[in-house]
Amino acid sequence: MIALLPWLVAVWLFGIGLYGIVTSRNFVHLIGCLSVVQASTYVLLLAVGYRGGAGAPIFYTHPPGTPAVDPVVQALVLTDIVIGAAVTALLLALALQLHKRRGTLDPDELRPLHR
Amino acid sequence: MTRTARLLLFALSCLVLAPATLALAWHMPAFGAHPLPYGEAINAVATAERHVTNMVSAVNFDYRGIDTLGEESMLLCAVTGVSVLLRGARGESTRARPGRVHGQPLRPRSTAMTLIGRVAAPVVLLFGVYVALHAMSTPGGGFQGGVIIASGLLLAFLGDGYRTWRRIVPSHLMDAIEGGGALLFALSGLLGLLTGAAFLANVLPFGEPGSVTSGGLMIPINLGVAGAVAGGFAVLFGEFLEETRVELSDRPAGGDT
Repeated sequence: MIALLPWLVAVWLFGIGLYGIVTSRNFVHLIGCLSVVQASTYVLLLAVGYRGGAGAPIFYTHPPGTPAVDPVVQALVLTDIVIGAAVTALLLALALQLHKRRGTLDPDELRPLHR
Repeated sequence: MTRTARLLLFALSCLVLAPATLALAWHMPAFGAHPLPYGEAINAVATAERHVTNMVSAVNFDYRGIDTLGEESMLLCAVTGVSVLLRGARGESTRARPGRVHGQPLRPRSTAMTLIGRVAAPVVLLFGVYVALHAMSTPGGGFQGGVIIASGLLLAFLGDGYRTWRRIVPSHLMDAIEGGGALLFALSGLLGLLTGAAFLANVLPFGEPGSVTSGGLMIPINLGVAGAVAGGFAVLFGEFLEETRVELSDRPAGGDT
């Protein structure tokens, strides 16, 4: 079961985030759900890179050749977290402008612009 | 699409995709036994090839450098987008007074808050610089260090309020640090072209493994990333802080559509 758990956690996070996006009544809530979906990719990537019994890929005190986990996926997740935070800020700025112009944050109350 | 239709579509797609996803999870290699061809190759050769001891930084700033340049540009675009969106409606003026919720008085900040802010901000800033500078030897790097530096700057706002924050974190300086960091990254790549090597080729001396000066071209790239991330997040904080202010001219808030 433990061999399956990380993949199932990633699937669960993706599914629950997507459910939140589909049923969302508020754009701020929707952006939070999008972050949950994004977190599922972190779980998946870090679980793929894990090696049983291995240490961090830092060879400062250990000599190179000591069993270590995958640094490539860690680098991917590292940049992704920072970019994700910035993109979340961009989406929140969009939500802020939407509230100023239309006075609502409910996706269902928005209609296509005519003309 | 109505809410019911959307929910039905979601349920239907879950019904179709769930068995496939579960089968996929079942057939994945066991946790902790996934084959890691790239990671093991990097772990085996990077210390000898680049004289660095932090493999994550070696991947980020050297082996996968062009990819990180792309992500750096994404950060720049996102921060520029936030600035354009918020400043476009508000203008660039920073002469504003605090906005407040109708009917609620502005409470003065407690001295404990100011004290903690003043004590913690320099410590956090110093720690951020430490994490950013030791990218090539110990855990850390420009991304992590930059975010910690930006958090230290925000502590100045929590402790001393908007006016002090504006004085010690001028928005033009932060814009310059953000763009300058990304520019430094791109220019570091051109250094390889000058010597006839490929873009982002590591052409500087590698230095002693485990020291702050190891890594060659990774040092300016790391500094550029640290500047871009710290400046970028400081700009983001600043733009959202400005949203809580109202113009001195007493324009009704939200009336400018």
